[in-house]
Amino acid sequence: MLQALLIALWAGICSLDDVGPQMIRRPLLTGTVTGLIMGDLAQGLTIGASLELMWMGIGNVGAYSAPDLVTGAIIGTALGISSGGGVATGIALAVPVALLAQQLLVLCRTLNVAFVPWAQKTADKGDFDGIMKIIPVSALMYFLARAVPCFIAVYFGSDLVSSLVDAMPTALIEGLGVASKIVPAIGIALLLMMMLKNWVGWVFLLLGFTLSTYLELSIMPIAIISLAFAVLYVMVCEKNAQPTVAISEQSDTEEEYDL
Amino acid sequence: MNEERTIAVADASTEITKKDLNKMFWRLQLMQLTTNFQNMAGTAFCNMISPVLKKLYANADIEAKSRAMKRHLEFFVCQVNCTGLILGVTAAMEKNTQEADKDSISSIKTGLMGPLAGIGDSLVKFTLVPIFGSIGAALALEGNVMGPILMFLLYNIFNVGSKYFLIHWGYEMGTGLLEGDKTQVLIRRISNAASVVGLMAVGSLIATSVKLQIGSTINVGEQSIAIQEMLDMIMPNLLPLLTTVGILAIVKKLNGKHTALLILATFAVAIVLYMLGILV
Repeated sequence: MLQALLIALWAGICSLDDVGPQMIRRPLLTGTVTGLIMGDLAQGLTIGASLELMWMGIGNVGAYSAPDLVTGAIIGTALGISSGGGVATGIALAVPVALLAQQLLVLCRTLNVAFVPWAQKTADKGDFDGIMKIIPVSALMYFLARAVPCFIAVYFGSDLVSSLVDAMPTALIEGLGVASKIVPAIGIALLLMMMLKNWVGWVFLLLGFTLSTYLELSIMPIAIISLAFAVLYVMVCEKNAQPTVAISEQSDTEEEYDL
Repeated sequence: MNEERTIAVADASTEITKKDLNKMFWRLQLMQLTTNFQNMAGTAFCNMISPVLKKLYANADIEAKSRAMKRHLEFFVCQVNCTGLILGVTAAMEKNTQEADKDSISSIKTGLMGPLAGIGDSLVKFTLVPIFGSIGAALALEGNVMGPILMFLLYNIFNVGSKYFLIHWGYEMGTGLLEGDKTQVLIRRISNAASVVGLMAVGSLIATSVKLQIGSTINVGEQSIAIQEMLDMIMPNLLPLLTTVGILAIVKKLNGKHTALLILATFAVAIVLYMLGILV
């Protein structure tokens, strides 16, 4: 019982960190402390590290909420330890839990919409400190969104979670996994809606895509290459802006051209 | 009356001190708490810029204060660390721009948020976190508790440091920009350059973070050809590209609304296609 409460508390703290300073939300960190609470630091380290490596490069993009690494890692680690199944059990539980908990995150962002009118009312009054009052409400929501599932999972033990996971058709869980990899496209589409102002934008988009797909370049070389293109693009834009000025300034007298 | 208006707006002679910028730094720590499908981080941005606005508009009338807040409640989405830069620049612009020109602030925010989101996500989530994560995980797998500690320290020196630095640097840079006469030109240049870098970064994001493969095969006589192989011969990652472009068309039609429904619908369609064996 005490363990379940401590885990729930830790989950809540990590939840606030995930939407806050983002200092401890990765599996290696959340899992290690979970291991400490469950009384097996070594397992915590192992399961946390395994999940960290497995979940490398998973993150929110734009409007897309990634699978919930916080709940996944905490429940996976806690139950991996308590069930005695170790890393294998930990990972087997972490993945479906993360996918299911992901839906809770989408729910949280949906519920936050309800606070937008509140924010607008503070704006109507010119109350600069008003929005800070909304923060604790959202914070409570996020705290519970992770503390409650984690408490239930640890309190009722791995048997409950395993049977829940088994009760779900594998196709659903695997389907959720496949779907998770497609949904980042929505976050990206949202960014593109803001960034693509003319057809030239598509050219650069395709260029970045090509460098990544065919040359398999990582983001660092692409960023450096893009700087060169950026400079060229700006120079071309400036040049195109000049002629209109020059023409209107031209007089009727002949001019010498130095070519 | 014109005279009444000039008294009622922001006082540009107010000094914005390091302390004011630091207040934005602390509020930046709360950024994603209020993220929602309507204005994304709009509520948060307004909250974060408010300490500076409060100082600038201290003696202004409610109308001006309200306009200022509403200006920053608009749609905003960006990566958390990079938002520091936008906060600094916005603070500088709020201080130095005339009330009539305040629309340019929204344009610079919009111009910067997309590219910085693309660059920020690629650099932080998909490059730095994996690097520090692998270092930490490698140590942890050997049973060394220095693993998580090292990861925590390394990552957060960057994480916290960049937020602090970018806010202050953004403010200085923003002020420097605006004191010259060539502001409009410079802003446009930066916006254009940022677009190029951002678009290329997002292009690469499509290739790396959207994964989509077809598992069906076509049977021609005795031969069975895997569709995905054929597609890969045309272009690898073709499906992620087409899917993203397709979703972009949908998002444009919906005008950015109903994002939550779109996410759920995509999940549903993907799961069904998976169960039918079409998607792998």
